[in-house]
Amino acid sequence: MLFRHILLASHGTLGAIAAEDTALQICADNGMIDHLIVVPEFWQGMTGDDWLNNGVTRDQFRNYLQAELGREVDQQCERLHRKISASACTYSSLIQFGRPDQALLQCTKKQTYDLVVLGSPRPRRMSDLMALRSKMLTKQLMTAMQTAMLIAPHPK
Amino acid sequence: MIYTQKKPALLIMGLLMLAIWFGADTGLLNPVLTYLSSGKPYKYLNEISSLPLYFGVVAVVTGCWHWLGPHQEGQLDYYSSTIAGGMLILLITMLIRWFIAPQIEVVSVDFGLIGNTGKYIHELLGLNYVVLGIVAGIIIANVFKVPDWARNGVRLSRLGLKTGVILLGALYSAAELKNLGGLSIIMIGFFVLGSVGIVLWIGSRRNISNSMGGVLSAGMGVCGVSATVAVAPVVQAKPVEIAYTIGTILLWGVGCMFAFPIIGHLLDMSHVQFGAWAGTGILNSAQVAGAALAFQPDGIETLMVAEIFNITRVLILPVIVLWLAIWYVKREGTTSSGINVGHVIITKFPVFVLGFILMFALSTTGMFAPASHYQGKYFGNTPAQGFKQENLLNSEQTEQLHAEIIGIDKNEHRVAVSRLIENGKIMTIEDDNAIRSIIKTGTLSDEAIAILSAAHDAVRHTARKIEAFRQWITWLFAFGLVGLGMQITVSSMKQAGGEPAIIGGIVGFIKAALSLIVVVLLIGETV
Repeated sequence: MLFRHILLASHGTLGAIAAEDTALQICADNGMIDHLIVVPEFWQGMTGDDWLNNGVTRDQFRNYLQAELGREVDQQCERLHRKISASACTYSSLIQFGRPDQALLQCTKKQTYDLVVLGSPRPRRMSDLMALRSKMLTKQLMTAMQTAMLIAPHPK
Repeated sequence: MIYTQKKPALLIMGLLMLAIWFGADTGLLNPVLTYLSSGKPYKYLNEISSLPLYFGVVAVVTGCWHWLGPHQEGQLDYYSSTIAGGMLILLITMLIRWFIAPQIEVVSVDFGLIGNTGKYIHELLGLNYVVLGIVAGIIIANVFKVPDWARNGVRLSRLGLKTGVILLGALYSAAELKNLGGLSIIMIGFFVLGSVGIVLWIGSRRNISNSMGGVLSAGMGVCGVSATVAVAPVVQAKPVEIAYTIGTILLWGVGCMFAFPIIGHLLDMSHVQFGAWAGTGILNSAQVAGAALAFQPDGIETLMVAEIFNITRVLILPVIVLWLAIWYVKREGTTSSGINVGHVIITKFPVFVLGFILMFALSTTGMFAPASHYQGKYFGNTPAQGFKQENLLNSEQTEQLHAEIIGIDKNEHRVAVSRLIENGKIMTIEDDNAIRSIIKTGTLSDEAIAILSAAHDAVRHTARKIEAFRQWITWLFAFGLVGLGMQITVSSMKQAGGEPAIIGGIVGFIKAALSLIVVVLLIGETV
C-alpha cells in the first residue's frame, strides 16, 4: 500500500534517517512528503544560568547559536530535499520551534496527511552525536494523534 | 512588540505583600511568627514589618498601571514590563525566607539532633531559605512554567547578583582583599588551568572534536555556563556540543550546590575553608554563591570568600578565551583571520567588577565606616557606643571564669580575664583581642568559652551602614538565586550525556576532591 501525502519528522539522527528511507519506500509516485524539523524549546533555557557575562558576550552567543541552529536546519532540509527529489516524490519543509510532540500534533491539525512517519527512540547505550534528548514519541502524542503513524525501526 | 501584559497578577502580588505587612504590623501574624521562631524573638521582624510595605505599594501602583493602563511600544514599556517578574521572584523569596524555611527548621528541630553530629537535619542538609528558594525556582520553571507576564522580569535576577557583588566590595578590608585575592589567584590559577588542560588532554585521547574539547574545557575549568557562552563562538562549537556541555555543567552544578554544604558541615569547615572550596570546586559560578549562602544562611562571611574566587575566575575568562582561540586555530590547521587580543579582552571584561573595585575604594576612604573599624565592626563598651547593660556578666558567670583563670597560660590573657571579671564587661580593645585569642585556643571549658564569646560579642558592634549593606546583599543574592533557579530547566540538564558527561564527570570530581584536600590541609580558619 502506498501513501500520497506523508508527514515525515526528521532531524538527521540515525533513527530519523531510517524513517526517511521508510517514507520514501511507501510514498506513491508523485506523492508529497512534508518534512517536519523541530528546533526544541530547551534552547530557550540554555543560557539562563549565565550571569557573569556582559550583554555583548551574551548577544554574540545568542546570534552565533541562532545562526548555527539555522545552518543545521538548512543543511538537513537540503539533504532531504535532494534525497526525496531523486525519487518520484515532491518535497516541502515545515520548520517549527517548540516541543517536538506538540509541533507534530499541530502540523497534523493544520493539514490532513495519509500517514505520519518518524524514527524510533535511540536504544540505550547507543551513542549518536547528532542526538539531543528531546523526545517526539511521547504518551501525549500517542493519545492525541488522529492520523495513522508509522514508527521506523532503529537501524542496528 | 509590547512587552507589558494586561494581567492583574502584579496587583494581586502587591496586595499579598501589603497583607503580610499588615498582619505583621498589627500583630495578627504574631501566633504564626511565635510558632515559627519556637518561642524566641522572631528574627525577621524588622524585615517583615517594612519590606512588604515598600514593595507592596510599588507593586500595587505599577500593577494597576499594567492591568488598566494603555501600553505602547518603547523603552518605558520594556522596562516597566520587568517589574512583574521581579516582584514574583521577590514574593517567592519573602515567603520562603519568612515562613517556609522557618517552618522546616521547626520540623527539623522536632526531629532532634542527628547522631553525634550535634546538628539538626536542616543544618546538615543546608535546607535554608537560599537552597529552598533555588529549588522553588526550579520547580516553578519546570512544573508550573514561568508565566508569560513574568518572563521578561525573571531575567532581572542577573542584575540582583551583580549588584550584590558590587555592594560586597564595601565589606572587605585591604588586608582581607590582598590575602583572599592572593589565595584565589593561586587556587584558581592552578585548578582552572589544570582542568582546562586535563579536559583538552582527555578529549584528544578520546578523539572528540576540537570544538567540543574547547567548549567543554572552558565550561569545566573556568566558570561553567558563563565560560561556555563566552567560548562557544570562538571555537565554533556545534549546537549539540553546546547542549551537551551546558547540560553537564548544570547537572554537576546543581548537584554540587546541594552536596557541598552537607560535606562542609560534616567536616566542620570554617567560613574561609568552605568559601575557598566552593569557589574552586563548583563548576558553575551561580551555584558557588548558592552553596556559600546555603552553608552560612545568616551571615555573609563565606559568601565574601567565595565571591572573591568567582571574581578571579571571571577575570581569568578573557585569558582562557584567548588561549582556546589560539589552540583551536592551531589544531584545526586553519590560518587565523587574526585574533584581536584587545577586542577579546574588552568585550569579555566583566564591567560589574569595576563596580566592586569602586565600592572597595570608597570603603577605604571611611565613607561607610570609620577607618578604626575592622571588617565593618567596632569596639564599644558604653551605652552610647551600643553596649547593652543586660550583657554585663552575672555572678554565676564571673565565678565560672574565676575558677578557670588558673588554666590560662599567658599573663596578658589572665589580666584581660581578671579585668573582665572585675568590671563585668571587656574594658579595652586590647583586652578584647586577648579574649578572642583565648576563645580560639579553646583551652578552657565549653561553658567558660561561651561566656567569653558572649562578652566579646557584647562589645563588638556593626556600623549601621555596613549592617544595611549586609542586609541588602543577602536580599540581592537571595533574589538573584531564586530568579536563576527559575531559569534552570530540566530539559537543559537532560542534555548531559555522551562523552562530555564522562569527561566532565571525571574532571569535575577530580577538581572537587583535590581542592577539598588542598583547602583542608593548607587553609586555616582565617586569612
